[in-house]
Amino acid sequence: MNIRSFIIVKLKELEWSTLVFVLLLSASGLLAIYSIEVQHESGSDYFLRQSIWTVVGIGLFLTAYFIPRKVIHNLTYPAYGIGIILLVIPILMKSSGSVSRWIMIGSIGIQPSEFMKIFLLLSLAKYFADHKRKLTDIKELMTPVAMTLGPTIMVLAQPDLGTALVYFGILIVIIFWAGIRPLHFFLLLAPIVSMLAAFQTLSFFIWMGLIIVILYFNHLPFWTKILNFLINVGLGGITNLLWALLKPYQQQRILSMIDSDSDPLGAGYQVSQSLTAFGSGGPFGKGLGEGTQTHLKFLPEQHTDFIMTVIGEEFGFVGVMVVIALFYLLIARLITQAYNSKFRFDSVILIGIASIYIFHVFVNLGMIVGIMPVTGIPLPFISYGGSFMVTSMILAGLSANMSAVRRAVG
Amino acid sequence: MLQGRNIVEGWRSLLVHGLLALLFLILIGRYYYLMIVFHEKYAEKATANHIRAVPVLASRGVIYDRAGNLIVDNAPSYTISVIPIEVKDKPESLERLSSVMEISVEEINRRIVKNRRGSFAPAKVFSRVPFEKISHLQEHRLELIGVTYSIEPIRNYVSDLDLSHALGYTREINRDDLNRFKKDSDYQPGDQVGWKGLEKFYESELHGQRGFRYIEVNALGQEIGEVQDRAPINPIPGHDLILSIDSYIQHATEVALADSSGSVVILNHKTGEILAYASRPGYDLEMLSGRISSRDWNALMQDPRKPLYDRGIQGLYPAGSTLKPLAALYSLENHSNAEERSYVCRGSYRLGNRSFGCWKKVGHGKMNLHEAIQQSCNVYFFNLIQDIGLEDWAHIAREFGFGERANIDIPGENKGLVPDRKYMNRKYGQNKWTKGNLLNIVVGQGDVLVTPLQLAQFAGMLAQRGTQFQPHFVTKVVTKDGEIIQENVSQSNDRVTASKDSWDFVHQAMWDVVNGKKGTARAAQQKDWDVYGKTGTAQNPHGEDHAWFIGFSLDERYPYSWAVLLENGGGGGGKAAPLIGKVLRSIAKRSS
Repeated sequence: MNIRSFIIVKLKELEWSTLVFVLLLSASGLLAIYSIEVQHESGSDYFLRQSIWTVVGIGLFLTAYFIPRKVIHNLTYPAYGIGIILLVIPILMKSSGSVSRWIMIGSIGIQPSEFMKIFLLLSLAKYFADHKRKLTDIKELMTPVAMTLGPTIMVLAQPDLGTALVYFGILIVIIFWAGIRPLHFFLLLAPIVSMLAAFQTLSFFIWMGLIIVILYFNHLPFWTKILNFLINVGLGGITNLLWALLKPYQQQRILSMIDSDSDPLGAGYQVSQSLTAFGSGGPFGKGLGEGTQTHLKFLPEQHTDFIMTVIGEEFGFVGVMVVIALFYLLIARLITQAYNSKFRFDSVILIGIASIYIFHVFVNLGMIVGIMPVTGIPLPFISYGGSFMVTSMILAGLSANMSAVRRAVG
Repeated sequence: MLQGRNIVEGWRSLLVHGLLALLFLILIGRYYYLMIVFHEKYAEKATANHIRAVPVLASRGVIYDRAGNLIVDNAPSYTISVIPIEVKDKPESLERLSSVMEISVEEINRRIVKNRRGSFAPAKVFSRVPFEKISHLQEHRLELIGVTYSIEPIRNYVSDLDLSHALGYTREINRDDLNRFKKDSDYQPGDQVGWKGLEKFYESELHGQRGFRYIEVNALGQEIGEVQDRAPINPIPGHDLILSIDSYIQHATEVALADSSGSVVILNHKTGEILAYASRPGYDLEMLSGRISSRDWNALMQDPRKPLYDRGIQGLYPAGSTLKPLAALYSLENHSNAEERSYVCRGSYRLGNRSFGCWKKVGHGKMNLHEAIQQSCNVYFFNLIQDIGLEDWAHIAREFGFGERANIDIPGENKGLVPDRKYMNRKYGQNKWTKGNLLNIVVGQGDVLVTPLQLAQFAGMLAQRGTQFQPHFVTKVVTKDGEIIQENVSQSNDRVTASKDSWDFVHQAMWDVVNGKKGTARAAQQKDWDVYGKTGTAQNPHGEDHAWFIGFSLDERYPYSWAVLLENGGGGGGKAAPLIGKVLRSIAKRSS
């Protein structure tokens, strides 16, 4: 097959709806950034920069779409290795006490932790595809957990709690998708719930009771049951110790989710301003550039993590629903395609991409209205920021690539 | 893998779909609750309670002399600002303001546009408003919606010393600088920024960092009060400067200079510290700081005496005979018979069919090197330069710091000019220039150009036998709590090497200039301590000659070197040397 006919075939296979959703989402992000700039008249060039990133992103969407599946498959592990090296660089360049998520190339800062999401996802997919793992034996989880743990520890060192959670979110969804037995899945996730439950005595005891019931009714060696139970009790017990190890700002962010008045100067303040912005937007909003709350307020992350407040205030509930609907259509489609795919590699990649989008969309849209902690998770395609825009676009291109192959076969 | 068979069980897919739907339903519910159910409540909150971040300016660092006396500090000044969005539909506010301030509405609008930082941010329209006007505005507060006033510190010149050129002034930041400083982004339109002199050079130290108060305002834009749950961010005051300037010597210098145009630089040659720095005429710092009327500005610009021109570091003059020690030192180092060598001066020197005169028309008669320096005989040096050559002369001149910036800590220094072969070829054409040009150069005329600071530094290096200390004004930068941020200590730099005998000879000759019977600077003599010097006369094609006197004292109590320039002052011995004589007597009087 020569290149020309390859391109024509690929173009025919492209599901244009993916590209259309992505473009509409990017456009709404640009609109919000434009609105901020119009009001501030500060001469900042966010709009221009984001426009450039969007164009670059579309180019990379197409690139990711056109790269033959085999090439992606073969380059996965080397790419993972490079990703790890790139993650180490900001840690090495770190000056004491500062946050080091960026590699600076001239005036452009690159966040390797964003690109690591792609490499991690591909590596997990390759692992599950190459060995036709059925995950009947829980020992088979060792490798993927190790693959995830490496980059997770590195981003925690940066420190970037939000991204670390994304990495783990990818892992959890993928092992579920790859066929882990429900009991194993439960036992795997139970310690996390135990730790969360440990914050409150009553919920901890209820949860422990639930674990006992589930362990009792399942066929497991006696000592395995005991060990599992002890692990959960133990982790619950040391939670308070681990809590003390968190950075104060991380504690504060989690606390301010539970009670937004506990931190009037930090995240809680931002959230309470954000609530006023959304609430005052009402059903139809105040119109482009007319928002008073988003512009008046001292919101340092207005154009990044809190970008939706602008859309909410100026385009109202309707505007927010349009964005939410676009995300839903995009993601639901990915899940369906993942289910329909006949190849493990493709299927796992598709569900992984869906999991990244779900995590980002839910955590971001949740935190700005006070139902999730403020963790610095941007909104795909909409938040200002080059690295994440590029990552989101590449993921979208990859998803189009993977679902196109299915049709070529089927 | 078989076709048509899915990899994943249907229930897993359903579960993920279900999770997605659940999460999105939670979001939709939350947004519905916020934006539809509780819309009224939040809409009220949004219109009733705006929070405005009001900048609190950091006070600019103050400036002390070496003894810790205040030279410049800050005084409160009232500023009136207008919030663009709030006066947009209320022209009566601006009309009211216009009638109180007696300035047209158009002019106010022009200033709003100029200082605009956004629809909601106050734009500065008047600064240095007298208190009566402010109390008047306060009375009519309710008719002046969108008009606010604030107190901001402005420069207050405590001492009556005329240090205008050294201190420089502050002015409102312009658009270019604003963009340039964007990275620090602590600057906003309407801010004061160092514009000249030390204020400019040490801007980043003096500036400080602004803070914020959070004010709640109602829908009409009237202030309700401080926001309770948001603590103000306190401003960080700028750092203070401690100068090497000695107010006593500075004052004595200014008194001695009186109304003459010119420049005096006195420095400590053991440290490089500037003790007195006068450049006359100066200007009124109060007038130039902040907003200056275009009429005053034009008057300053067009003043024929050029008060804005810092003669000490920018003024370029021929050095005149003050450069003779340079050729003498070269000769002492390189000619075996330098001390004995003598020439006869008959009042002029012939080269081809041109005649080069000595200042003494009747001639000095037979002169040796010592006498030639003491009596400043040109003809002796015309003869001597024939044995030196331009390149060698230019080399030693550059070693003494001529033709390059001294890198003093105020901006705008001129390099001056040391002509060498390359320069002469470029200016006059390959080999088109003659020995005649060389003769002019050795007596500091023609192409040689120097600044008073360079000559003061030259005098210091003569005193220190070739060792240079970089001249500077600021000895320490300190925080408000007295913590030292920066200490300027010049490193010694041995630039010119010569034998002890040569230095002794030059010193002895310069001692004789001041103390010898036939010396040209006897007016600088002091009763009980030794002063060394050299006079100079810089020919001025536009009028009367400029007078120079450079010199130094080797007395342990007064390790000072200086250069004096009097524009149109005639011969250096006539006015410049007596001026320093007066200053030195004052200095001696203080210590006794």
